[in-house]
Amino acid sequence: MENAVKKNKVKMSKQDAIWGFIFISPWILGLIFFTGGPIIASLILAFCDWDLITPPKLVGLDNFIKMFSDTRFLNSLFNTFYYTIFSVPLGIVGSVMVALLMNQKWKTVRLLRTIYYLPSVTAGVASAIIWMWLLNPDFGLINYGLSLLGVKGPMWMADELWSKPAIVIMSLWGVGGNMIIYLAGLQGIPRQLYEAADIDGAGMFDKFRYVTLPMLTPVIFFNLIMSVVASFQVFTQVYVMTGGQGGPADSTLVMVLYIYQQAFKFHNMGYASAIAWILFIIIMIFTLLQFKVAGGWVHYEGELKK
Amino acid sequence: MAKKSVGFFESQRIQGQIASWVLYIIAWSGALVFVVPLVWMITTSLKAPDQIFTVPPRWLPYTQLTLNYDTEIKASNSGKIKITKDTDGTKRIELGGYSHVIPAIAELKVKKNDIVAKGDIIATIPNSGKVAIVEKVDKSKTITITSDKGLLIKEYQISQDTKPVVKDGATVHMGDKIADVWPQWSNYGKAWAPKALDETFTKYLMNTLIITITGIIGVLLSSTFVAYGFARFKFPYRDQLFMIMIATMMIPAQVTMIPTFFLFKQLGWIDTFAPLIVPTFFGGGAFNIFLMRQFLMTVPVELDEAAKIDGCNYLQIFWIILVPLVKPAMATTAIFGFVYNWNDFMNPLIYLNSTSNYTLALGLQTFTTMYGTNYDLMMAASTIVLLPILMIFFFGQRFFIEGVATSGLKG
Repeated sequence: MENAVKKNKVKMSKQDAIWGFIFISPWILGLIFFTGGPIIASLILAFCDWDLITPPKLVGLDNFIKMFSDTRFLNSLFNTFYYTIFSVPLGIVGSVMVALLMNQKWKTVRLLRTIYYLPSVTAGVASAIIWMWLLNPDFGLINYGLSLLGVKGPMWMADELWSKPAIVIMSLWGVGGNMIIYLAGLQGIPRQLYEAADIDGAGMFDKFRYVTLPMLTPVIFFNLIMSVVASFQVFTQVYVMTGGQGGPADSTLVMVLYIYQQAFKFHNMGYASAIAWILFIIIMIFTLLQFKVAGGWVHYEGELKK
Repeated sequence: MAKKSVGFFESQRIQGQIASWVLYIIAWSGALVFVVPLVWMITTSLKAPDQIFTVPPRWLPYTQLTLNYDTEIKASNSGKIKITKDTDGTKRIELGGYSHVIPAIAELKVKKNDIVAKGDIIATIPNSGKVAIVEKVDKSKTITITSDKGLLIKEYQISQDTKPVVKDGATVHMGDKIADVWPQWSNYGKAWAPKALDETFTKYLMNTLIITITGIIGVLLSSTFVAYGFARFKFPYRDQLFMIMIATMMIPAQVTMIPTFFLFKQLGWIDTFAPLIVPTFFGGGAFNIFLMRQFLMTVPVELDEAAKIDGCNYLQIFWIILVPLVKPAMATTAIFGFVYNWNDFMNPLIYLNSTSNYTLALGLQTFTTMYGTNYDLMMAASTIVLLPILMIFFFGQRFFIEGVATSGLKG
């Protein structure tokens, strides 16, 4: 009798397994055709010369060797790092600060949250155009604001020194998207922790330093990884603001824009794949590095109980 | 002793209140900065071309046009007057490195070799003139103010939304109102059907709606379906597959872009919507599966079991029991999907070639290449593109916030 039940269960779970596979099968097919397959294909292409028309020609490491002497590639590498190094930390500090403000108990706080969040849903071509206008050297609002402070504003997108900071500043307009995630994190911090801190006589800054910040580190960590991945892929803003050129003088030519140009303007599919793989490897290294260092600063509440 | 401690807490309370006020002011100042670009977009979109390039910038479009120009030209340096004459009657006065352009209408107040000090009046322009109105084909008008001798004093280009309040041939004086200026609603018409482009925004909007709506359907169906598989079934390698799925979020789209492009090219799908729609039916994106799975995990398994006892198969359980329960999460996914598709630029850029297939994002980008300096029209076009997404945001606000909460990002 007991044996029969067990047998039935085993049978059921086998059937279950089949059903499980049936349900996830769309994703499995997608993984094969739109992710896994293409990744392998692009890895092979990275070692080929291919113009989409004639069959790919194996060229060994040529594409990768070429990169070292390709100043435009090196430029795009530098520009992408520049953008990431400034936009990610500034974006995280900015969104955490805004989240802290939005975690107050004010009557208007819902309206405030909406205002801060709004720009992040407008991301794309339209917001790039708005910023082209805001950053207009002669008639833009930004330089007008600076002139009120007695500062003569730079030429922004027309100056190779200032074009990258311009894109970074623009990216900060979108901190509202991450703000919402931090806000969820802040609201998940147990109240008892603050009460305990109160009893210990902790001030506002102590509470932030020893309660809020450590409790928020897992969210910051998640966000850091996603932000780095996203910032390495910056494309639309730059494409729209520079007409697809990455100018002036390649000063905003980022990696994805260069991959796009190589692939769809010059039809160097092999070279473009090689650069895409370099981008992928950089992102993987950064992500793994962050996981490595994470133990040192990311605090998981579970560890407290040890 | 007791009294003292009350005083201590009292002072802390006041301190806290002051801090709260300071934070409140900071929060609102920041919010102002954040909202300015959007306000600026809308006000610029309602301006006439001559109101755009002004220093200082105008916040609001002005409501009337008054006759205004300099009636005196002053020396910007001291020195000896040197006069040269251009062929069109314009004179130039060179003064210690500065060159003053003296229009034909101006009456010179100095002679050659006169010595003037900085700020002296060197020429005057009459402070009244005769109106001449010329209407152009597109209903926009030019109002010119000329002197008795027919020399041009000032010229105003006014758009069709601007109504002149002076008559042809009338005499106007400095400071007189010459036209009522309404917000330039016609900018929206001009942006909607741009003369320099083959297509109107009606076409772009239809294309975007087709792609967005079918894309959302694909994402909702397949991500919920797959999430159900991950959330409710035990099968070999399930957890490993789930980890792989999470890991695919890290893969930059550019790595798969070229082979995928080739695949779609072989299928003959280039310049159709298929490359933008079909992939959504294959899983609907790792993030969405993750989101739906997290949500499904919160639905009690007992519901499934009860349905099973009632004789439901898994498809029925999925469709009849679970789908209605996960509707809020589906709304979140739908809204994020809407925002993603609406703003997506790179995929349409790669896959769509003919302008009749362009999405709003592509159309808007093309628009800027043709109207690069017409900020009034560019802002009107941007507003057209952003308006639906802003509306969706206002009506669906709680789903944005809920989506973040249910995806379990708390760590």
